[in-house]
Amino acid sequence: MRRFLYFAIFLFAVSQTSAQLRNERCFVCHGVKNFGIVEHGKFKSLYVSKEDFEASVHSKFACVSCHVDVRVIPHLTKPQRIHCLQCHFEGNVVGAPVTAKPEKYKESVHAKALAKGKNAPDCKDCHTVHYVRKPEDPNSSVYKTRIPELCGRCHETVKEEYYNSIHWAGIQKGELSSAVCSDCHREHDILPPEDPRSSLNPKNVVGTCDKCHSDVKLMKRVGVPVQNPEAYKESFHGIALKFGVVRAANCASCHEYHSVLPSRDPRSPIHPANLAKTCGKCHPRANENVAKGKFHVLPGERESGIVYYVYTFFKWFTLIVLIGLFTHIVLDLIGHIRRKRKKE
Amino acid sequence: MPSQKKVLRFSLSWRIQHFLLMVSVTLLIITGFALRYHDTWFGRFLIFIEGGFETRGTLHRISAVLLFITAVYHLIYILFTREGRKEFRELLPRKKDFADFVESIRYDIGKNEKPPMYGRYSYKEKIQYWAFFLFVILMILSGIVLWFHNYLFGILPKWFFDFSQALHSATATLVITFLVLWHLYLVHFSPSNFPINASFWHGYVSEEWLKENHYLEYLNLTSSSEEIKNKGYGK
Repeated sequence: MRRFLYFAIFLFAVSQTSAQLRNERCFVCHGVKNFGIVEHGKFKSLYVSKEDFEASVHSKFACVSCHVDVRVIPHLTKPQRIHCLQCHFEGNVVGAPVTAKPEKYKESVHAKALAKGKNAPDCKDCHTVHYVRKPEDPNSSVYKTRIPELCGRCHETVKEEYYNSIHWAGIQKGELSSAVCSDCHREHDILPPEDPRSSLNPKNVVGTCDKCHSDVKLMKRVGVPVQNPEAYKESFHGIALKFGVVRAANCASCHEYHSVLPSRDPRSPIHPANLAKTCGKCHPRANENVAKGKFHVLPGERESGIVYYVYTFFKWFTLIVLIGLFTHIVLDLIGHIRRKRKKE
Repeated sequence: MPSQKKVLRFSLSWRIQHFLLMVSVTLLIITGFALRYHDTWFGRFLIFIEGGFETRGTLHRISAVLLFITAVYHLIYILFTREGRKEFRELLPRKKDFADFVESIRYDIGKNEKPPMYGRYSYKEKIQYWAFFLFVILMILSGIVLWFHNYLFGILPKWFFDFSQALHSATATLVITFLVLWHLYLVHFSPSNFPINASFWHGYVSEEWLKENHYLEYLNLTSSSEEIKNKGYGK
């Protein structure tokens, strides 16, 4: 017993000399997998994976740099809840990166719900507590391919809808440019669609889809026609929406949002068999006739069919008429001037 | 200008029709142009002064009703009134119009000493009339398809609406070309009419003007048919 005590004191002395060792000291208990306490009749794990912590962006920091109220180890009292903004504030001395993200988060639906005492995520719920990694790190909790799972922890039905979509199919095929939750909903400033600043507001939906769908290289790679957003903006729906008529159809009105699927998929709202129903949401008399034709037509493209031929015919016809009439007028005027000179 | 004898060239009905056409087409062009060129500053300005996007549409439809009424009025006029049938016969294209066209170009380039003698309507005016006749039919038909798309959705295929839209927009461009270039030339900028031929308003032209521009009509008004024959009608 006495020997053990000496050893303990020695260990303590050594452990206090450097951050790393101090962390070692914490992991003596917190590194044990089934370490925990019983709180309110429930077992609460207090385990921290040493391996994962050391792979995190905070690996160089001592546990006590955040848990500042732990002054002796082992600590007898429960440490205070800590917050990311303890370090990530403008002018901090530990070199913690400061971004606008916490400020953006404060405006979000999550922060507002949390402030009302509802169950909503803050930083740690997405970024984890001890294993924060850079988003581009494939093991990060906020790595692109993990985001649907992350958001789906709360938004379960939406997750299932999304897992049926072409966007998720793209991610699974390794096309990391395909959209996950955060690409449309944004990451930190997630706002409700009613908010005019929201990326999901009817006026902003087109811009949100447009971010990727007007990227020529990307759309070529995934085989989606890149002129669709452009053609939409030139359509009645697009023009009306641009001038504030928000009841006009935007992308999501026809394509759905979480379960976006290509027209070849029979489950898709834009599959020819489902178009009558989809258009029927706004145009009550729509029937199978609405499937007889092309969508997102640009007059200048040969694929547009009859629209292209009308456009091209009239383009040349108008030009010929213009030149013909103009020539006639010029000849008339030249003749008039010459005759006038002759008279004088 | 010495005081001249005035001749009534356009009847009241004819003038009312022109006035209705002028007002409706001008409104249709202004409101339609705003939609077609919505992404230019001028288009945005037009939409703004037309009271926003939806009011612009309502104005366009009101003007369309006016144009439709004018068209029906005109059809009744040319079918069921003596005066209208006579005017319509005068407007029908004839062989002489093609000859007149050649003569007029020859006169312009100095090959002919005298201009061709025109009847009540020269080939230039006939081009104007028939172009508009066709335009109004095309615009009304395609316009009806676009306006009543909700009713026609069950009847017409989707491509027909795209077709109508393309036709409506392309014909409109042609109408503007004709109006700005040809009609404004005929009644404003041609030397004998500059700055404006106001007969569309009061119906009167001077005898001098009629003699210069519609010699045969002038003869018709001033002489008996016998005299016209002697002076070489139908040369």
